[in-house]
Amino acid sequence: MISIFAPGWFTRFDILIEVFSFLVLLTFFIISIKNYKLIKNKKLLYLGIGFLLIAVAELSTILTKFVIYYKTNLQQVMGDIIIKYSVLHQSDLPYDIGFFLYKFLTLAGLYMIYRLPLKNKNVGDILLGIFFLVLSALAGQSIYYIFHITVIIMLLLIINNYLKIYEENKNNNTKLLIIAFGILTLGNMFLILSSFIWAYVVGQILQLVSYVLLLGLVININKNGRSKRK
Amino acid sequence: MDGQKENNESKKRSRLEVIADIIRILNEKGGKIKPTHLMYKANLSHKTMKIYLGDLKKSELVKEQKISKDEKKILIVLTDKGREFAQKYSKIREFEETFGI
Repeated sequence: MISIFAPGWFTRFDILIEVFSFLVLLTFFIISIKNYKLIKNKKLLYLGIGFLLIAVAELSTILTKFVIYYKTNLQQVMGDIIIKYSVLHQSDLPYDIGFFLYKFLTLAGLYMIYRLPLKNKNVGDILLGIFFLVLSALAGQSIYYIFHITVIIMLLLIINNYLKIYEENKNNNTKLLIIAFGILTLGNMFLILSSFIWAYVVGQILQLVSYVLLLGLVININKNGRSKRK
Repeated sequence: MDGQKENNESKKRSRLEVIADIIRILNEKGGKIKPTHLMYKANLSHKTMKIYLGDLKKSELVKEQKISKDEKKILIVLTDKGREFAQKYSKIREFEETFGI
């Protein structure tokens, strides 16, 4: 049994929000790689890979949700109820793999972004981190909120890094980045309560808002280059 | 080995930063500057500046312009390609600074 918490009327928006998030993440990946090619700063490459991992995660959830919503539509169980799609004659395995990839790649991407500004490059620490990511993604398959709790912890650690960076550079774009990640964290807090329909919808809308801000950040950097400090 | 690689990379970075500085100074001066002024503003020795300007001319980011019949009096002029580089570099620096990398 696979449970998705989107109400019937929200399924199209749900997919559109994921597609929009995917495109924003892909934009960050392309910019990071382009910049890396020009100035060969390896951290830009790692940042790009981090965004790419999350983008692939989004793609994985888009495809999985699309198939599930499409089949659910056929079964006419749409409405203001929680969709519970049970596959009677088929295996759940493809969906399980799709959602596992979404969880694991999202966590891996966030972990990469989190580690980037850190000076400690201890291999043991990194392996331990990866082990817990896999564990969390696996546990998240049966207890969905474990995944969201891990995402929240990662996002809070990332925000903490960027707060330190902002203290030093007082850059308005870093401030915007902190706000975007902050809203994404709030969104994941609502997603923990996904068994309430409204919480899922609010969580997804907050995700949309955070990605709109991230898109604004890209536009801002591209338009102005080095911004003025306060 | 890794340390050596990192060292080489940081050398490359600082070279890139010097180039970016030269281009920025030229841009701020309206795209034209006397070599001596550039040397002073970019904080470079005569020898080092000659090497960098040679590279920049090869890459067509800057060119020389005679200001009198005396061939020794020249101006360093920023090309369109140089202006484009200055813009791109500024965006990359902002991107790096935003993420603290």
